[in-house]
Amino acid sequence: MTGDVWSFSENAAVASEVALAAEGLAPAVQGGPVVVEVGRARDGVRGGGERLVLQGCPQDGPAEALAECISRAAKSLGPAIILVGATREGREVAARLAVKLDVGCLPEASRISSDGKTVSAERSVYAGRVSATLTSPLPCVVTVRPGSFAKSTGATGTVRNYDAGTPEVRVRRLGSSRRETGSVDLKSAKVIVSAGRGVKRKEDLPMLEGLASEMKGALGCSRPLSSDLGWLSEEHHIGLTGVVVKPDLYLAVGISGQLQHIAGMKDSKVVAAVNTDRDAPIFQASDYGIVGDLYQVVPALRKALSARH
Amino acid sequence: MNVAVCVKHAVDEGELRFDPAGRPLIEGAAGKMGAFDKNAVEAALRVRSEVGGEVVGVTVGGADARKSLKEALAMGADRGVHVLDEPHLLNPSRTSALLAASLREAGQFDLVLCAEGSSDTYSGLVPPMVAERLGYAYVGYARKLGVTASEVRAERSLEESIESVASPLPAVISVVSEANEPRYPTLIQIMQASKKPVAEVRAQDLLSAGGTHSVTIGSMFAHSTDRKRIFLEGTTDEAAAKLVDALRKEGVISV
Ligand SMILES: Cc1cc2nc3c(=O)[nH]c(=O)nc-3n(C[C@H](O)[C@H](O)[C@H](O)COP(=O)(O)OP(=O)(O)OC[C@H]3O[C@@H](n4cnc5c(N)ncnc54)[C@H](O)[C@@H]3O)c2cc1C
Repeated sequence: MTGDVWSFSENAAVASEVALAAEGLAPAVQGGPVVVEVGRARDGVRGGGERLVLQGCPQDGPAEALAECISRAAKSLGPAIILVGATREGREVAARLAVKLDVGCLPEASRISSDGKTVSAERSVYAGRVSATLTSPLPCVVTVRPGSFAKSTGATGTVRNYDAGTPEVRVRRLGSSRRETGSVDLKSAKVIVSAGRGVKRKEDLPMLEGLASEMKGALGCSRPLSSDLGWLSEEHHIGLTGVVVKPDLYLAVGISGQLQHIAGMKDSKVVAAVNTDRDAPIFQASDYGIVGDLYQVVPALRKALSARH
Repeated sequence: MNVAVCVKHAVDEGELRFDPAGRPLIEGAAGKMGAFDKNAVEAALRVRSEVGGEVVGVTVGGADARKSLKEALAMGADRGVHVLDEPHLLNPSRTSALLAASLREAGQFDLVLCAEGSSDTYSGLVPPMVAERLGYAYVGYARKLGVTASEVRAERSLEESIESVASPLPAVISVVSEANEPRYPTLIQIMQASKKPVAEVRAQDLLSAGGTHSVTIGSMFAHSTDRKRIFLEGTTDEAAAKLVDALRKEGVISV
């Protein structure tokens, strides 16, 4: 089967990553990469090839409307593969799209290839313990794990407008509040100091932030600190259900090292850990370990770092 | 209010074994109820205690999956539906088609609750697919729920924002783990769960009219984590100095 490879994400940064995945895949299905946009072409989205702008659809979603508009365009234009960024909104778009188009769906791909008849996607399963390659016939929808591809630097080609109409939506938005976002971009940080439940109080986080900035790095955390305690925003949350990072150095402080956390940092170049428990699983996944109380070890590390200056 | 809650008997990732070539031994692997599914069951039970009605637990899976269904019944669900299927791992199209078909047969539901994702695959596709197939409204990643006779209000936990929404019924809702603290069943509840009715349906009877798109598993292998695992010993200051030294030698810090 031949056809284009479409890419879509409602999140501009993820959209540029998915666009790069589409550029890589397009030759295999003898088509071109197409960046799908809703309402208007966004400046922040990079991607080579055509830009398909769906008119009529509300620009900021909801997913229900986005899926309907994209499916209308897909039914008339017939792409071979539709890649959707696996964000929380994106997963709904992809799921609805696959059902509406009556095609298969491969989830959470970190690598994608095609032989022209099928598409194969590599993903991690069982809390990151296993890497699986899944194959489905074309046409197919694939959700793409954010952080798996670099951002496209391609220049926008022709812009094609498509009137997808304004679909009915049932779920009404009553309000939205942005989470407090720092200036963290964990995906591009070379050094990450990551905080876990070993940290007793929110007020102690600046100590770790200080260590991170002295190492020219950023602060991350385990899921409980962001999701349950709300000490840090979700963009700091590393692991299966958060972001996947691959820094040069990952320093886990007071993190036990459960599989779901390891899933988000196991590809780091060097891993070091500080934990009071010598048997904590994090040490099995580390190159260097210090058994000790973070409230003593972190100040000692800061002192050792400044010793040279 | 009629509430359905979907639970998955997930592979217990901590118990997974591998053959010498590094392939996971999926067949016969130990299973457990998806960790977040317990939050979905808890959410369903709370809706029942607020507005009354019935909670039906639904699972798709092999004979083993009965264990997770029983757990939902022990937590407090009134009855269960078990769609007996080969464990068709990693195909959300099939799972969602079976769930939607069995929900259509099992009754008229106002709410279908699911977890944000299963603990073994975490794809997050089954809940919105079920909504799309049933033609229900969908609210994903809810961390707060308020249900009235005609509508559900929810706070959605998205990556960059918290969004509040109102949705008509019927609706499929997926909940995040911070939505609630799941209850633990008592011993008596566990014993009573065996007496609650469970309807068994065969997958092939539900999907006789047209199958779903195939997903084949090409290969599976263990991620290897080759790490040095060196403990730095000594006093706190000595260990810290050794670590900073090692990291400088590795060239991963520039200070
Ligand atoms: C489906 C699913 C998905 C999940 N996804 C994620 C995910 O994406 N990311 C994630 O992180 N988790 C995730 N989790 C949760 C995960 O299983 C763990 O519960 C979580 O990672 C534990 O966080 P922690 O290590 O900070 O806390 P704990 O496990 O409580 O560990 C705290 C550690 O700190 C140590 N400690 C205590 N005091 C000190 C001290 N003074 N100095 C030094 N060390 C100290 C303790 O020895 C312990 O090892 C998920 C769970 C499920 C079921």
